[in-house]
Amino acid sequence: MDDIVIAILRSGTPLVYVALAGVIAQRSGIWHLGLEGLMITGACATIVGTVLTGSVGLSLLIAILLCALGSVLFWLVVEILKANQIIAGLGLTGLGLGGTSLAIQAIFGSQGAVSAPAGLPKIGAAFGAYGGLSVLVLAMPFIVFLTWVLLCRTRFGLRLAASGEHPFAARSVGAKPAVMRLVALVIGGAFCALAGAELAAGSLQIFSQNMTAGRGFMGFAAVIFGAGHPIWATFAALFFAIVGAIGIRAQLVFGDRIPHDLLLGLPYIATVFGIWLSARLRGGARGATGGFGELKDP
Amino acid sequence: MSANFSAIIRATVFIVIALVLCGIIFEIAGYPGIQTFDAIIDGAFLRRNALEHALRWALPLFITATGVVISFRAGYFNIGAQGQFYVGAICAAFVAEWLKGYPGAVVVPLCFVAGTAGGALWALWPGLLRLRSGADEVITTLMGNFLAGLLLVYVTAGPLKDPSGSGQQASSRPLEAAYRISTSNGVSPTIIGIAIFVGLAMWFLVNRTAFGVLSGLGGRNPTMVQWQGASVWRIGLASFLISGALAGLAGTIELMGPNGRLAGGFLPAHGFTAVLIALVAGLSITGTAIAAFFFGGLASAALYLPVIAGLPSAAIDIINAAIALFITAKSRFVDRLANIWRRPWTTS
Amino acid sequence: MKEPPDVVLACRNIYVTYGEVVALDDVSINFRGGMIHAVVGQNGAGKTTFARTVAGLVRPATGSLEINGRPIPGGNVNDARSAGVELVHQSFALPPSFTVAEAMQFGADGGRLYTRAALERRWQAHLDALDVKVRAGAQIRSLTVEQQQAVEIARALVTDASLLILDEPTAVLSPEGADKLFERIRRLKERGVTIILILHKIREVLAVSDTVSVLRGGQLIDGPLPAADIDAETLASLIIGPSGRAIAEEDRNSLTGATPPTTDGAATTAVTSAPMLSLTNVTTLSDGDGPPLDSVDLTVHAGEIVGVAGVEGNGQRTLVRAISALADVASGTLEIDGHDMADSSLLSRRALGLRVIPFERNVEGLSLTSPLWENWSVGRLLSKPLHAAIRPDGLRRDCRAAFDDWDVRYSNVEQRAGSLSGGNAQKVILSREMDDAARLIVAAQPTRGLDIGATAFVWDALRDARQRGCGVVFVSSDLDEIFDVADRVVVMFAGRVVAEFCAPFDLATVGSAMTGAQA
Repeated sequence: MDDIVIAILRSGTPLVYVALAGVIAQRSGIWHLGLEGLMITGACATIVGTVLTGSVGLSLLIAILLCALGSVLFWLVVEILKANQIIAGLGLTGLGLGGTSLAIQAIFGSQGAVSAPAGLPKIGAAFGAYGGLSVLVLAMPFIVFLTWVLLCRTRFGLRLAASGEHPFAARSVGAKPAVMRLVALVIGGAFCALAGAELAAGSLQIFSQNMTAGRGFMGFAAVIFGAGHPIWATFAALFFAIVGAIGIRAQLVFGDRIPHDLLLGLPYIATVFGIWLSARLRGGARGATGGFGELKDP
Repeated sequence: MSANFSAIIRATVFIVIALVLCGIIFEIAGYPGIQTFDAIIDGAFLRRNALEHALRWALPLFITATGVVISFRAGYFNIGAQGQFYVGAICAAFVAEWLKGYPGAVVVPLCFVAGTAGGALWALWPGLLRLRSGADEVITTLMGNFLAGLLLVYVTAGPLKDPSGSGQQASSRPLEAAYRISTSNGVSPTIIGIAIFVGLAMWFLVNRTAFGVLSGLGGRNPTMVQWQGASVWRIGLASFLISGALAGLAGTIELMGPNGRLAGGFLPAHGFTAVLIALVAGLSITGTAIAAFFFGGLASAALYLPVIAGLPSAAIDIINAAIALFITAKSRFVDRLANIWRRPWTTS
Repeated sequence: MKEPPDVVLACRNIYVTYGEVVALDDVSINFRGGMIHAVVGQNGAGKTTFARTVAGLVRPATGSLEINGRPIPGGNVNDARSAGVELVHQSFALPPSFTVAEAMQFGADGGRLYTRAALERRWQAHLDALDVKVRAGAQIRSLTVEQQQAVEIARALVTDASLLILDEPTAVLSPEGADKLFERIRRLKERGVTIILILHKIREVLAVSDTVSVLRGGQLIDGPLPAADIDAETLASLIIGPSGRAIAEEDRNSLTGATPPTTDGAATTAVTSAPMLSLTNVTTLSDGDGPPLDSVDLTVHAGEIVGVAGVEGNGQRTLVRAISALADVASGTLEIDGHDMADSSLLSRRALGLRVIPFERNVEGLSLTSPLWENWSVGRLLSKPLHAAIRPDGLRRDCRAAFDDWDVRYSNVEQRAGSLSGGNAQKVILSREMDDAARLIVAAQPTRGLDIGATAFVWDALRDARQRGCGVVFVSSDLDEIFDVADRVVVMFAGRVVAEFCAPFDLATVGSAMTGAQA
């Protein structure tokens, strides 16, 4: 039993962080499809940074800075240049995937996987079988709680939500929706960096190209499945992780009788299911957002 | 016409901004920016046979991109061209495998039917989820891409596996020569003919049918056409199916033309590049033809770069991504710039 | 209570431009403290821009603002709010998913971190003190229009406001609701709050305000004038201006809300023609877009205009959607021209001559980013199968001809619909919907946001349609225009038709029906 829970926490924690980033962006009025790109940037920066500097803490800081920088770029494009959020988000994702692969090539001369000498600190033997988990797993519930307080129990959270839901109302009490979105994206960027760091340096200490494999998009789906609420989105992300863990478990049980490539697809199918279910329960998700830019009437 | 003209200016300005961003990234990564672009342009359009190579990549991209135009115009963000492309190729490959030994004149058309239908099928379920339940098609089609990628890996490593294959990348048994519609250079009268036919048919559909005008209006404002009595359901489903079918057709062409077999994860950037082409073209069919040629050149340069210039092919991915980041941007400053140019020959 | 300073708000040479449009043109005006000031004008006169400029939401191109003698840099909401200015918006600025308490909190100072219970306790006290009967835990979207307005006023008073601006507060209210609002405003005045009311009905101006100022075409025409010294006729001509001379006397009065309308309508003869539309006992399914219809009966004959009155949000929208096959009818019959149409599509209803002018011109009526000719030809295209080939040149030619008939001012049928003014955009819709085959016309708020000339144009178009023998359903929340245009009036309340009146109409009776008094 313990090993399943550990597997779920390992695969679920990055999803939770990235989902929180998506929740914050969503509340401020931005459909953030660039999460995947920021996440892989965080993963790459953590591993490469550790290889080059030897310090995990320093490279985590670099990862956060890079993701914040990417978020500012995204903000400039969608807020100042009014680009379509979906297309620009996919562009940011492409930039992250291509940029990390270019960086690996430039630094190590090949596109193979890079392994780091050290990973994130572990929570230690005091936790018994769970001691091998990283501190970011332990921190996750607290970060979720803090995010909930920030979004749902402070005036800042109200103004952020108003910026997304009714920007004019936000403006008329003196809040500046554009600034709120910048703040939201930068905080989200930091969360994406944590997600990437946990994915790459939480247990494996390896970075390889495209290693996020759609987890950023799943995190985004968790936002929709969780109705933009930090707690519900966390559960949605953990649900995807549980389905993935079941798939891996099924491989052990069924062996070759079920092709393992198809079992790998279970989390993606769960994501589609989640999107479908939330649309059924709450009506089309698109209603809440504009963000179609030129293609749609204002 | 003048509106088109300022749209072209705007697109050009933002593509230049995107390229400057790429240049900065290249510089940081330690590749001299100017030389990189020089090598890309050389690889894309200037070296020997470059135009033919560009065309090889441009033709399938053009077909997929016209499909993207149809769904985007109707307001549906079908990002799943990649998955529909894969599923189309897989279906065609299965038909070719089952009917092995029958004459090409029978098998090839059936492969095309299967490939097109397969692509349409892979667009059908996100379409139904969107139209019946309102499930966002951006996520479902993206997930469809990952699923189709896994399906491709499974097929090439399982049912269609080439036993003699070596190396890490699993691939399917090669197609019989009689079923190939081009050599591996990928440019043949058949393929050109299909592309021209698709281009003309889609131009007619968009500009000269009730569907074309109504789907465009509905894409920009679905509420308004509903208040006029349109069935969003029929227009939407047709858009999904047509865009999926065209991606599947392009997959079939890649299989039966230049590639000749399936390989796990082949042409991973095809769908995203097609989306870009459609957007750069401002969702017009004629523009798509021009943009497809440009991005076809970049795609061919991607293969040439590591060999000749020592650059990773990811450079092209970065250029594509940066263009995606900026292509839908709007700026009053750029509009004003476009207006200055426009003013002399417009009256109103 | 300290004596209010002489001049609370001083505006000097304010210019505001939106792109190339001048919204406020050199406006200089002073408002004295402790009074109720009215600012009137027709739609497009610059009233809302004026209000937003004072509140800091719009930055003036030139000019200066002084509040309580303190110069305020324009275009900054926080500066304006800290100087004591609060604005109550016409379409309320309250995020619908918020609770009332949250909507108060997000505009307030202090209490940066809160618990839900403490928040609701804090704001319930505030609401009670203002005599607003709303639960602090209720969601904004569950409130009625009157409650939302009360909440918005309460929200504006969370800080120590000394100048409260209300932008067209009566537009969404019944006559009784307006009286209650005025009562509330007078109480605020007694507390020393200076109030600026943006209004467009002369009757209301004279009833509540101490001074009146008139805006027209972005310019200050006159004011502030003492309201006691001015009569309705003078005020009406100030508002309408010289261009309105051609408008009939009766229309002039209802356009400016000058006198309580008691008009006798046009055709009060007993209607004997066949019904064009008849709804019997129609109930619709609840779908989150306004209250569902509850056993609605409605008959519209050929050659008559039936006005549908009521406070906004009482089912008028559902009624129009049910007639347009956009809301699901659960039970009851719906007949158009004698054919049972309850289960048929909008397209087949349109084939019988139903035409709809929807509520939201810019969302439901037109695709603003599409060319005019495409907008105009939707109906024709929909009557063909999807794969049918079309000739765009032919459509463009027909479109030009129709636009010329309807006097649409445009330069090119390829131009985007969004580039037209409100009045011209509405004419595009009229030219599309009021073709020769039209037999039943549903006009939902067709004059909203239009200036006086365009409003009179729409009225005349509806009267012409009646003359040609069409049945017309005319939905409006403005009783003056309903009384002027309609032959018969039904009143909706909470999804039901609660009363029906024939001319001559009486404002007080119809008004009290709007509050559900007879139900």
